[in-house]
Amino acid sequence: MATEVVEVEGHIIDSLILAKVLDTIVDAGAEYRMVDVEIGRASTDTSHARIEIQADDEDVLTTLLTELQLHGANRVEDADATLEPADRDGVLPEGFYSTTNLKTQVRIGGHWVDVENPEMDCAIVVGDGNRVTTAPMHRVRAGDLVVVGLDGVRVQPLERPRGANPFEFMASEVSSEKPKELLVGEVAERIRIRKAGGGKILAVCGPAVIHTGAGPDLARLVREGWVDVLFAGNGFATHDIESNVLGTSLGVLLQEGPPVEHGHSNHLRVINEVRRRGSIAAAVADGYLRSGVMYECVQHDVPFVLGGSVRDDGPLPDVYTDVVEAADAMRALVPGVAVALMLASTLHAIATGNLLPAGVETFCVDINQAVVTKLADRGSHQALGIVTDAGLFVGLLADHLCS
Amino acid sequence: MCPPEHFGVLYEINPWMHREVTVDPERAREQWGNLKATLEQAGAQVEVLQPAPDLPDLVFTANAGVVNGHQFVPSRFMHPERQGEVPHYVAWFEARGFTIDWLPDYVHHEGAGDALPFGSVLLSGYRFRSDAASHAYLSRLTGAAVRSVELADERLYHLDLTFCPLDERRAMVAPEGWDRYGRRVVEALVPELLVLDSDQTMAFCANSVVVNSTVVMPSCPPEVGRQLEAWGFDIVVCDVDEFLKAGGACRCLTLALDLTLGPQGERLGEPRGRR
Repeated sequence: MATEVVEVEGHIIDSLILAKVLDTIVDAGAEYRMVDVEIGRASTDTSHARIEIQADDEDVLTTLLTELQLHGANRVEDADATLEPADRDGVLPEGFYSTTNLKTQVRIGGHWVDVENPEMDCAIVVGDGNRVTTAPMHRVRAGDLVVVGLDGVRVQPLERPRGANPFEFMASEVSSEKPKELLVGEVAERIRIRKAGGGKILAVCGPAVIHTGAGPDLARLVREGWVDVLFAGNGFATHDIESNVLGTSLGVLLQEGPPVEHGHSNHLRVINEVRRRGSIAAAVADGYLRSGVMYECVQHDVPFVLGGSVRDDGPLPDVYTDVVEAADAMRALVPGVAVALMLASTLHAIATGNLLPAGVETFCVDINQAVVTKLADRGSHQALGIVTDAGLFVGLLADHLCS
Repeated sequence: MCPPEHFGVLYEINPWMHREVTVDPERAREQWGNLKATLEQAGAQVEVLQPAPDLPDLVFTANAGVVNGHQFVPSRFMHPERQGEVPHYVAWFEARGFTIDWLPDYVHHEGAGDALPFGSVLLSGYRFRSDAASHAYLSRLTGAAVRSVELADERLYHLDLTFCPLDERRAMVAPEGWDRYGRRVVEALVPELLVLDSDQTMAFCANSVVVNSTVVMPSCPPEVGRQLEAWGFDIVVCDVDEFLKAGGACRCLTLALDLTLGPQGERLGEPRGRR
C-alpha cells in the first residue's frame, strides 16, 4: 500500500477540477480521503483541497501522481514538521498536533522518522538524536520540542485485511447471534498466531470475570503462558484473592452458589491482610495467597497494573491511586502487545483502548451489548466485539489454548 | 499586433508546423495588413509592437500574456523557442504604463491564447502549453474567477482555437478540443453556444476576433455564417493561410488591450502552495 497527499487549488469546484481529480484517482483503482477542503465563499474566491491517496503499490501511485499533476494537483510540499518548545511543564504549545493511534511519521531534516510509540490523543515530541515519541500532555516538560500544525506529519492508514481474515464471514463487528464456540476458536487461533510471531497478549479484566467463575480458567491461561500482561482494577484483584483465600467472591460461594453469612465483608478482610503484608507478591511469598490469577502472575512474572478508582475499598497496596501514574504504568507495558482481550470491563478497557496503537487485535467480551458496541466502535480498526458471558468465554478459551 | 517582418516556420512546436514549408513573406505581409485594416474598419484601434529578428512567433501577440485593466501578466512559455519574446512584450507594456505582475517561474501559461473572458469568468485552458497549476496564481494576480478547461487534442493546443466569446450570452465553441469536464464547464457558463463540427474546428473558425458586432474569421462555412448573422453579427473573412503554417489564425495575431477581468488594484494574496 502506497500513500501520498496532494493538494489542488483554484476554482476547482466550478472548473470541475476537483471532480476530475477524484474521478481520476478512482479510475486508477486507488482510493482517496479528503484531508482538508476549504471552499471559497464568493465566486471570486479560490478553493483548496488536500487529498490523501492510497494505491496498491508505488508504481500505480507514481503513474497516478503524474497524471494528477496535469490537472494541477501536486504533492503537498514536503516540509519538515514545525516544532515549538513547550513553555511550561504539562502544557502544550497551542496548535499542537494531536495524534491518532495509527503508525505515524514525522519529517525532520528532510527524512521521515517513525514515531516510536503511537498512541492517540497525545502530542509528538522530538527529543535528542531526533528520537520522536508521543507524549501525553502531563508528560511534557518545558523546553520539549513539540510538533505543531499539520505539516511534516503523515499517518499510515491500516490496511484493510484482505483474504484470509478469520472474521471475514461476519457482517458486523458486534456479534450477539453468532456461534460462540466458533468465535472462541477463531480468537484462540489469532492468539496463537500473534504469539508465535513474538507478540504479547494483554488481558484487561473486570471483576465479573471472577464473579462468573472464570478465575480458575484465567489462572490456567496465565500459568501456561497465554497472558503476558494484565491490566485490571482493585475489584478484580480483590475478588480473585477473596475467592482463592475464602472461596467467595463478594461473599458468594463460587463453588456452591449461595451467599455466606457476613460474606459481604470477606473482601475487606482479604484486602486488609494483603495490606498487612505490603503487596500481593508479599502475600504470595508468605503463603497467604496460594492460587488464582494474581498468584499465577506473581509466580510467572507476568507484569500487572491495577488502576484505582474512586469507589475502591482499601485499596490493595499494589493499586495505583493516582490515575495519571496508573496510565503511565500501563503505557510502559504496551509496547509489544499484539492482542488485547477486554473481558467484562468498561473502565479499564476504554483506558487501555486509548493507549494501544492501531493494529493491535482487540477482542471485547461483555454480556452487555452496549458495552461491547461502545468499545468496538471507538475507532480501533481491528476491534471485534463478542457479546457473551465472560465466564463461559474464558472457560472455552482456556480449553482451546491450554493443555 | 506585431508585423510579420521576421515571421517564418523556423522550428516545430505544434503539429501544424513543418520546417520544410516555407512562408511567402510578401503574402504574409499582405494578409497581416489586411487583417489590421479589417479590424480598424470594424472599429478597433490597433497598436503595434516592433518585430524582432530570431523571434518568428512574435507575430502571435495573443500569447504575450494576460491583460487586465492596467495590469499585464507576462506569459511563461512552455517552449524555449518562444521564451525570448517575453522581454519584448514586457518592455512594450511597461512603456505604456502597465504594472507587470509575474506568475511564478515554475508554472507555464501562454497568455490570452489560453485565457479568454466570458462574463466575470476567465476561462483558461491547460495541458499542452499552459499548466493547470498556473490557474490559481492567475486568479490571485488578476482577481478573476478562473475556470480550467483541459484541452484534449494536441492540434488544438491553445484555448483560443476552441473558444470564441461573442457577447455576454454567446460563444463559438469547438468541444472536441476539450475533455468531458471542460465541456460541462462551458455548457454551464455559456447560455447560447454555436457548436463547431470537426471540419469547422480544424478550419480554425473559433480563432476569430470580435470587434463590436463584427466577427473577423479565418474562414466561414455557410452554417456558421448563418447562425452568426441570425444573432446579428457581421462577418468578415480574412485569409491568413500563411500564418496557418505556424498553427495560428486571426485571433492568435491579436491581443485585446481594453480588457478588465477582475477588481482593479486588488490582489487577493498569495496562493497557498509554497515552493
